[in-house]
Amino acid sequence: MNAIILSLLGAAIILDKYALGEFGISQPIITGTIIGAIFGDVWFGIFLGAMVQLVFLGGLPIGRDIPPDGQSAGIITVGSYFLLRNFNSFGHSLFLAVVLGLVGSIIGGILEIYVRKFNEKLYHRFVHHEECLYICHTMGLLTAFIRGLCLFLPLFVFSQLIGVPDVFPQITKETLMIIGISIGLANSFYLFVKIKTVVYLLIGGICGLALVVF
Amino acid sequence: MRLSFGRLLKIFWHSLFIQTSWSFPSMQSMGFLSDLVAGVGEDKKSEILKTQRGLFNTHPYMVSYIVGATVRAYDEGRASAEEIGKFLAVAQTSFASAGDLLFWRTLRPALLLLAVILGIHFGIVGPITFLVIYNIFHLFHRIKGINDGYNLGWDVIYLLKDRRFKMVREIFEAAGAVLSGLLFSLAAFGVSYLLVIPLTALFMIMLVRRYSAVLIIISVLLLVLIIGMV
Repeated sequence: MNAIILSLLGAAIILDKYALGEFGISQPIITGTIIGAIFGDVWFGIFLGAMVQLVFLGGLPIGRDIPPDGQSAGIITVGSYFLLRNFNSFGHSLFLAVVLGLVGSIIGGILEIYVRKFNEKLYHRFVHHEECLYICHTMGLLTAFIRGLCLFLPLFVFSQLIGVPDVFPQITKETLMIIGISIGLANSFYLFVKIKTVVYLLIGGICGLALVVF
Repeated sequence: MRLSFGRLLKIFWHSLFIQTSWSFPSMQSMGFLSDLVAGVGEDKKSEILKTQRGLFNTHPYMVSYIVGATVRAYDEGRASAEEIGKFLAVAQTSFASAGDLLFWRTLRPALLLLAVILGIHFGIVGPITFLVIYNIFHLFHRIKGINDGYNLGWDVIYLLKDRRFKMVREIFEAAGAVLSGLLFSLAAFGVSYLLVIPLTALFMIMLVRRYSAVLIIISVLLLVLIIGMV
């Protein structure tokens, strides 16, 4: 699979973020599975998707707030990893994929603001030409798709072409897991742990320990 | 009065695109109008577009309740545009806050946690479990919302006091807490995982002090860079 096809696929999946349906297909754990399956390594796709998911578990799109784009981060991290893996070692590929994913999430959030500003023009066009409602509204699909393409294509082309030198930093799967679980725990504690749910947290913790021991 | 299956399907289909043209000054206005016109019919299109094209924003899954009730108001023809506007102003904020609490803050993160834990232990079972359970709730509200909205009319707002909303939220809050505890099981594999404790505390402090999400992502990025270089 080359960078262009992967970018088109990513841009189509990212429509699920808000432009079409919102079925949850664009969540990193799902996109990790899809991209992993395409590249023939579902397990590692799920693992990477899961780690990105934990990082972005607390990003809540409430009201006008536009948090960093966790969905794009999932697609970029997993897609870049598999493209980088063609010419680079595991540690280098993992490191660069995670960095690209995190940077991509911030750029994705900024691009989303621009897309929504562009949609403002569509709204003004509709206000002056009421008969254009469906056209102006549906054009939103195109702007969301183009946003995805503009975000994914350069990063995937870069990932496909680059050969990382040996002196470049690298990380292990365990390191990524430590970071992912740390921020995942912080996010989940922040979201779910209250005085009335502490008992459930303890039940979960005891069950978790039992799983590890036995 | 009952809503025909054909109209229900039309409203449901258009509701999937409610946020397609989201913009800052109008938010979901065009999406809402498209959905409403699809439900009410083309004959009242110009009246609706003239009178209801102001700002509209609510939770995307809960919009069905509002559209259902508004379609009923137009079908009956008794309410003035101003009265419908007042209903929309109240309904959109009420359903937005209920939907945000139920889906964004509770149900989705709890199910994603479940997917992560199942995914790491059992592979594809995790993502499939998330997609199936999440979309049962998601589509239930999208479809039943239209019917409830149409059948109850403007009284649909009182549905938010219904026990089922609170109960589902409480169940998923408890499930989320259990899953947070279970997440520890992923970490308890070796001594190096003791690092999870100070890092979790660090991120907790950032979240509790309401640091911006961008800043938290930048700190994760820096952490990856530092660990990568060391």
